[in-house]
Amino acid sequence: MIPFRKAMDRWLGRGEASITTPPMDGAFRPNDRLDAAGAILETPAPDGLAITSQGLIVSSGRSLLRVDKGTSTPVASFDAEITALTGLPDGGAAVGLNDGRIIFVGGQYDGRTIAANARASCITALAPAMDGALILANGSATNGPAEWRRDLMEKNASGSVWRLEPSSGLATQLAGKLAYPNGLIDEGAAIVVSQSWRAALTRIAPGDGGRGVAVLENLPAYPGRLSRGADNVTWLALFAPRSQLVEFVLSEDRYRRRMISEIEADHWVAPCLRAGRSPLEPTQQGGVRQLGVLKPWSPNRSYGLVARLDGAYRPTMSLHSRANGRRHGVTSCLSFGGRLYFCAKGDGIVASCADEGSTP
Amino acid sequence: MNAQELSKPALLEMRKVGKDYRGVAALKDIDFDLRLGEVHAILGENGAGKSTLVKILSGAVAPTRGEIRVEGQPVQIASPALARRYGIAMVYQETSLVPTMSVAQNLYLGDEKFFNRLRGAYIEAQQFLQSLNFPVDPTAIVQSLGTAKRQMVEIARAVRLKAKVIIFDEPTATLTPEEKHHLFALIDRLRKSEVSIIFISHALEEALDISDRITVLRDGAHIITGDARTFSRETIIRHMVGRSLSDELYGRATDGRKLRRAGETVLSVQNLSMQNVVRNTSFTIFAGQVTGVFGLVGSGRTETARIIAGVVKRDFFHGGDVRFQGKSVRYRTPREAVGDGIVYVTDDRKGDGFFETMSIAENIYLGQISGRNSRGFVASMSETRALAANWTNKLAIKALDGDSRVIELSGGNQQKVVIAKALVQKPKLIIFDEPTRGVDVGAIAEIHHLIATLADEGLAVIVISSYLPEILSVSDRILVSRQGRIVEELSPDEATSEAVMFAAVY
Repeated sequence: MIPFRKAMDRWLGRGEASITTPPMDGAFRPNDRLDAAGAILETPAPDGLAITSQGLIVSSGRSLLRVDKGTSTPVASFDAEITALTGLPDGGAAVGLNDGRIIFVGGQYDGRTIAANARASCITALAPAMDGALILANGSATNGPAEWRRDLMEKNASGSVWRLEPSSGLATQLAGKLAYPNGLIDEGAAIVVSQSWRAALTRIAPGDGGRGVAVLENLPAYPGRLSRGADNVTWLALFAPRSQLVEFVLSEDRYRRRMISEIEADHWVAPCLRAGRSPLEPTQQGGVRQLGVLKPWSPNRSYGLVARLDGAYRPTMSLHSRANGRRHGVTSCLSFGGRLYFCAKGDGIVASCADEGSTP
Repeated sequence: MNAQELSKPALLEMRKVGKDYRGVAALKDIDFDLRLGEVHAILGENGAGKSTLVKILSGAVAPTRGEIRVEGQPVQIASPALARRYGIAMVYQETSLVPTMSVAQNLYLGDEKFFNRLRGAYIEAQQFLQSLNFPVDPTAIVQSLGTAKRQMVEIARAVRLKAKVIIFDEPTATLTPEEKHHLFALIDRLRKSEVSIIFISHALEEALDISDRITVLRDGAHIITGDARTFSRETIIRHMVGRSLSDELYGRATDGRKLRRAGETVLSVQNLSMQNVVRNTSFTIFAGQVTGVFGLVGSGRTETARIIAGVVKRDFFHGGDVRFQGKSVRYRTPREAVGDGIVYVTDDRKGDGFFETMSIAENIYLGQISGRNSRGFVASMSETRALAANWTNKLAIKALDGDSRVIELSGGNQQKVVIAKALVQKPKLIIFDEPTRGVDVGAIAEIHHLIATLADEGLAVIVISSYLPEILSVSDRILVSRQGRIVEELSPDEATSEAVMFAAVY
């Protein structure tokens, strides 16, 4: 009965085959708070944020920059793109590169390089474990971090989470078959992972065979990096919006295959970090003004969204950059010194606003 | 009222008119007069005697005692036909049109000639409806029209019959603000052409706006009649209920209490569609909160609620998704929804809310056995009575006992029975659709208190209402519906009447 029911569901667009996206309401009620935040740095493609003994550092392309009062100072530069960054308890930082290497900057392992692991070369996120190890998210077994759109369009679930000993470089796989793990938080007894293509956060504990338990599901955008704030608060960066159009394309296999093989990735019907810059794009974010707000008539492929989660990972409030905003594609956020910092990679801006901690 | 208006002759007089039902006085020796070309509002709680009074005037009910005079002449209004002959027409809340006939046929019903040219009738009806500013197609079959348009036809029929007295019973309950504006303009035109209007409404602001004089009834007795300008909302309520209720009723949700915080996500409606009535609507409902849904009639609120509760079905192809407690659900019958913990308190309590020939106890017990895990129709009389006694007491349903028939109760108490029937099913999500429509002010306060209590107990509560003060007073969160979808979310502290109405209309 189940295959028959699944076939019927696919035909009728029901159940798992229904092409729907969750509403942005309640804690996800749209606002313009990301756009209202003050810019502290404009740099090409800022991606990761970390707090080190030097202060706030941001990764941009191949460089690591220290951000201070609107100016940036180079901390380090590498021979490959930086794809993941985390601050370490000893005041240093760990950097994941596009080719799979991990390099330590500052702290007790300063200058140490861990060679790429062939099974974990798509490093999307790093996080320090409580016992001094490093937790690593490997987004995909087949695509690199820059090819995240391809990974989504191929409907892959080949990501994994690894534990890495900084001293020996020994890597142990904690979980596999994840749909693009892209953010990590170590809870001590378990790890919480954001799975972008499942639009969910999953808790993975040692005894559960790597399967994990969903702690937050049905998100209206693709979740990315996670960071821990004060009072057991978690900040979640959601880097691109989900839309019915993309969900529909994901359900149309032949169309999707032809699109992947024949069209340049920037022009796919797929989410992106910033849309509306090329006349070749499938949708141009045309809009109508409603209630004094510009609303798109075509689904926007990029958006800016940061969510504040409580101790149980329930969303309590969110900050948005809407269709007409200029802070799209937020890949990282973190709370430090009473302020919330975020990287709008799509628009090349690092900005900050007061971490009010208020709930609607 | 100026001296000229005061000197206008009384077109209709009632002297010591009373009506008894089985020895109980429903109307206690009322004196009432209606002047030429005036709008006279009759106000009172449900059970105050308004309906009995207008039924006597329209010939539907014969008075037990007293005298009625039309243009100074004593008359016996023994039937509605006789009332029409005296120039008295009634526009009912539930319209009295023939549903299978066209609008034009209904307009000319009882006034047909030997040979009737249908085309001529349609043209004439079109011109007539346009002169009244009613956007109704004369060729449309009445049963295909919405309530508001049916009411327009009913009003048009009364105007066409050149009635001297038109009685409006809750004429605005189902109208949009724009349609209300048209209706009030029409009433004004009728007043200028010296037609007298009796206006019954629960919306006190409307009565204050439109009427020249106001009469308040309470418990079948006449309390006061006076110039409308001498009344305020508070004084009317005081006369209606015998105490001040203004603080309890329609105070802003943000006044004096903290808004409830959202709990767990209970319901997530995603891209729900049903023909062109519900159009790709999405919203979330949280536990421990009252979510108010405001929208004009026809904005798809009721239909969305009915899909959630399994009363109607969404589109067959790509109808969207409803997730209840994280699980995708698609109910074929309300019973399945009730089994999962979703109950819907209908806006049409007479049609769908209760069985009018059954007792209070039987109706509440029907709620008990409607769940998935019930024992079917095996009724236990002792259990039925105990259940009825419990809920009658809990919701303060005013009735002689649980064996009283629901039809004999006032609107407010009928509504409480419908709510009891829903609550007995121990829901996790309860949807109130127009919970206080046709309910008197005393019961409104009680129902609002009950809604707040349910949210405090952790239930997810949805309140659908077309009455903006109600939405503003009960909601922790306000969703605005327009043209089949939720278009705006507001918190009560930022929701002004203007902001909500603007979102609902534009």
